[in-house]
Amino acid sequence: MDVVLRHWSAFTDGMTTTLELTALSFAGALLIGIVVAAMRVSPVPVLRGVGTVYVESFQNTPLLVLLVLFVFGLPEVGVIFPLFTTAVIAIALYEAAYIAEAVRSGINTVPVGQAEAARAIGLGFGQSLRLVILPQALRAVVQPIGNILIALTMNTSLAAAVGVVDLTAAANRVNLLEAQPIPVFVGAGLGYMAVCALVGLLTNLIERKVAIVR
Amino acid sequence: MSRTLPRRLGTALPVALATLTLAAVTACSSDSDSAVPGGQDKKPAEASAAAAVGVAPDTAILPGSTMEKIKKRGYLIVGGSQDAPLWSQLNPMNGQVEGFDAEMGRLLAKYIIGKPEVKIVSSATETREALLQNGTVDVVFQTYTITPKRAEQVAFAGPYYSSGQAILVKKGTTGIKAPADLNGKTVIAGANTPAVTAIQQLAPSAKVVTFASDPECLQALRQGRGEAYVQDQALLVADVKQYPDTTVVGEPFTQDPYGIGLKHDDTAFKSFVNDWLRAIGQSGAWQAVWKQTIGTVVEGNPPAPPAIGSAAGS
Repeated sequence: MDVVLRHWSAFTDGMTTTLELTALSFAGALLIGIVVAAMRVSPVPVLRGVGTVYVESFQNTPLLVLLVLFVFGLPEVGVIFPLFTTAVIAIALYEAAYIAEAVRSGINTVPVGQAEAARAIGLGFGQSLRLVILPQALRAVVQPIGNILIALTMNTSLAAAVGVVDLTAAANRVNLLEAQPIPVFVGAGLGYMAVCALVGLLTNLIERKVAIVR
Repeated sequence: MSRTLPRRLGTALPVALATLTLAAVTACSSDSDSAVPGGQDKKPAEASAAAAVGVAPDTAILPGSTMEKIKKRGYLIVGGSQDAPLWSQLNPMNGQVEGFDAEMGRLLAKYIIGKPEVKIVSSATETREALLQNGTVDVVFQTYTITPKRAEQVAFAGPYYSSGQAILVKKGTTGIKAPADLNGKTVIAGANTPAVTAIQQLAPSAKVVTFASDPECLQALRQGRGEAYVQDQALLVADVKQYPDTTVVGEPFTQDPYGIGLKHDDTAFKSFVNDWLRAIGQSGAWQAVWKQTIGTVVEGNPPAPPAIGSAAGS
């Protein structure tokens, strides 16, 4: 494994990019996902339709296709963002579809009585969602969202294919120089494993803290 | 028994782990590589240069050697690409892998077996050293630059081609005349090509952006994702023909001796392959392959094949 140690700074730079990519796209995915989930349970048919179309189209497209489309397709219509930004947008939009479905299943775990009670005390749809339903729904889906975050961390490695120098791309470059694929990629794999293990532990911790005992 | 078991575990475990992590980490980093799983290349290239070279004499196929193993198997397993224009690219129209490297693989197969039967194992770019070491492939033909570092892991026959990296820019770009001008600029390169290391050495403060394939790199250059694109000169010449809004600046600035990757320490096979290289250099088969592939974009007569063993590490 001394190959990894010799190129330690390349690996840590790559890891930093991977972490930034993960954090930013997860934040984006969470925001978009919750909005889409709210649309899917809203009483307005148009919003429900838009939400369903969103989830079906992003969940059923390979992420690599999205990345290539965003990186090479958008400039054709005059929209050009830096590669890193483009990757964040594509990954966030893609993972948001999964988050939306997780959150929606969380909403379904909240007893109907809660919504009825919220309505009875005079809250509108938005208010009851924001103040009553979502807080309970999110607490019920900590584990699934943690799993999505783990998948998202792995998925960021696809950004290497469109020029983002993340951990995977850094490993590729080191290997080009050192010609020792097994230690190099095992090293990168251990990096991803460490991040994901940490995410898993944190998820368990949060889940235990916020779980609703019914 | 007490010795063999742990040792076997010791090699099996890292390999299994590596396969897993490879799948997770790099499965899709080169999309076009994995798009077509190593297709068997059955159509004989008799009409082409392969006809011009003979078959190895039976005395050269030493008993118990790698050559004999390949001959008995009936086909040669080549680690190569399917997405490298001019070098080794799958033609979806006829299922044939075309290019200089692909043709050389067929010639070698013909020399050993008597017919140009080749199976190309793709997605080898990131893992070719491992594939050679564990015997998944017999040889690697993949614009594989001979370097002393790599020669510690694998053996190189050849060099069989001397390539040079050149710089492509959009027409009208000023201020890029030589590799040193790339310092401080964003430079596009093909992932896992010799260009990545060449740029890092000659223009250390250049920001290198890599894409999986040549068309993607070209597109990125034309969309302004970088000021320059560094790639093998022959490929760039082909790119300019396709997109006249780009132009190659100056002359090639590196000398990359491409070698045939072989298993380390297989000296018999290495000298066998080197003998074959000398034979095709003298018979004109090498030149014919050049004409048929790289010669379709580079004007002039074929260059002389590089001298065997002339590169450090070969």
